[in-house]
Amino acid sequence: MDVTIEYTHIDRFIRGLLSHYDVIAPVARDGRFIFDRIDDPAAVSPQYDTTLLPPVKWIYPNNEVLLEFDLRDITKAAVIAQGRPQALTFVHPCDINAINLMDDILAEEPSDANYLTRRRSTVIIGYECLGPCKENYLCFDKGCHITYKGFDLFFTDIGGRYYVHVATEAGREIVEEDGIFKKAAYDDWVDLMKARAERKKGFKKVIRGDMEMLSHHLKEAYHNEIWDIEGKKCLSCGACVIVCPTCYCFDVSDEMCPDMEKGVRTRRWDGCQLRGFCKVASGENFRKDAAERVRHRVFKKEVYLKKRFGRSGCVGCGRCIDYCIAKISIIDIFNHVMDRVRENV
Amino acid sequence: MFNFLPMPATITDVRQLTDRERLFTIRLDNERILRHRPCQFVLISLFGIGEAPISISSPPVDSGKTFELCIRSMGNLTNAMHKLSVNDKIGIRGPYGNGFPIEKIGGKDILIVAGGLGLAPLRSLIKYVLQERGRYRRVILLIGAKRPGDILFREEISEWERDPAIETHITVDAADPSWTRHVGVITGLFRHIDIDPLKTIAAIVGPPVMYRFVIREILAKGVFEGNIYLDLERRMRCGVGKCGHCQINGIYLCQNGPVLSYLEARKLQEAL
Repeated sequence: MDVTIEYTHIDRFIRGLLSHYDVIAPVARDGRFIFDRIDDPAAVSPQYDTTLLPPVKWIYPNNEVLLEFDLRDITKAAVIAQGRPQALTFVHPCDINAINLMDDILAEEPSDANYLTRRRSTVIIGYECLGPCKENYLCFDKGCHITYKGFDLFFTDIGGRYYVHVATEAGREIVEEDGIFKKAAYDDWVDLMKARAERKKGFKKVIRGDMEMLSHHLKEAYHNEIWDIEGKKCLSCGACVIVCPTCYCFDVSDEMCPDMEKGVRTRRWDGCQLRGFCKVASGENFRKDAAERVRHRVFKKEVYLKKRFGRSGCVGCGRCIDYCIAKISIIDIFNHVMDRVRENV
Repeated sequence: MFNFLPMPATITDVRQLTDRERLFTIRLDNERILRHRPCQFVLISLFGIGEAPISISSPPVDSGKTFELCIRSMGNLTNAMHKLSVNDKIGIRGPYGNGFPIEKIGGKDILIVAGGLGLAPLRSLIKYVLQERGRYRRVILLIGAKRPGDILFREEISEWERDPAIETHITVDAADPSWTRHVGVITGLFRHIDIDPLKTIAAIVGPPVMYRFVIREILAKGVFEGNIYLDLERRMRCGVGKCGHCQINGIYLCQNGPVLSYLEARKLQEAL
């Protein structure tokens, strides 16, 4: 079922969502955009580039409480798996593709109870990109500038109004309750097709090679000089993996209440680019060079996840490029590998 | 579906093995049984401190309801563990990992190579093999330690040395005046053993630096790469193939390991 909604009704639409859900939306903050919980529809910016952190972090939050315990009787420790109804709104296709992959990763047995509980209480309202949102992107090469699943509603700007694809029962309930959505007419659909035809002109391919072959070429380039080159630049700050919408590595730690009796076990984001990530108690560090860690990040996305789930772990959002203070770019890494392949053929 | 809730358990015995290592006997509460395989591991949980992965040192069938963990006092959790005593409560998650492929080794000669703390996980295999002794041909055990004082399970090793069912060879890197057995690194022991390469299954656990050299010795004797098993160490944090710390190239060691054949391990550039 497809419907439309006028620009002017977006406030009412969000107000309607607020009565059922925690609404997580793109908002402007300190000169960039973030996904934040809002209670004022006026704060929402449907037009945004890429948020600092991806929306999946609302399903996989930092410092998530896993267990509560009391040292006076540890046998009473209890699992905390919360799932407040939340609506992630105006989510770009790259980030929806990332959530789809995270669903597959964390639903793989043994599946992650905390993630799945939050995921089940989350509705996702997608927002179509009709052109690149910023300078550093490879979503077009990745085929992730569009998405066909992973949303309940999907908005496309068709001038003066949005064309809304209703994909799920939860989505249908949202559009039926409000009474501000109109059934999509033939003219609306024609405008949608026009907008999408324009979209094709907007995006550019940035990788000089066949993306289908990337995984194979990288495996051949395991000992390529690029890892040392990038490793020398890398400061091992971990920014790239914290902003990545498909990074899910974590550490578990305990925090005590000041009474030193009650406490919580929490999960916090961790990153394979940090120096001590693979260090064991004896002091041995199994990935001690930055070059090895940079290579691991790229291989995890393009080789290991691809082998397990049939698609790359990189959706091309470009956040890791935007936030790398050492100016390491996966676009440059991929192009280096692709160029080297061409030179050698 | 997985969550992080550990099973409550009780310490039923604590034995000092060396200056740094203690052997804890653990019983799961509520009559639960661990049901592990040799060379699997558990995550010990001390609320307020955290979790740490520890190999299981006892064989699966040992008295049914308890299991043993050999723990070196090394970090936050293991230091705290060493302060605990009988009847104290801890949490246990697991068992995790694939464990040793015991179903594949019947009728074979078993060569077990234990360097340092490597004897802790291998003890589960040694005791299992000795309990099921009739199913195997020769059982050869090579043990290496830095100094005589570092040798784990000394009383049991003395028993094994007297037991005709197992050929035990032991060496230390640096001897003291009372030491009467071999001196030198563990690879030196290979001079003293003859093995039938086509009938031998090898199991190796030791510090990371040891694997290459021991594997070279065993390959030189003609043993097939797929019959050499390594129990590797990584930072197992979650045990369920999610947290990323134990990843070796494309595999999560906590799920696909910790036991890998050399045939598998040599395809993983980061393994050895």
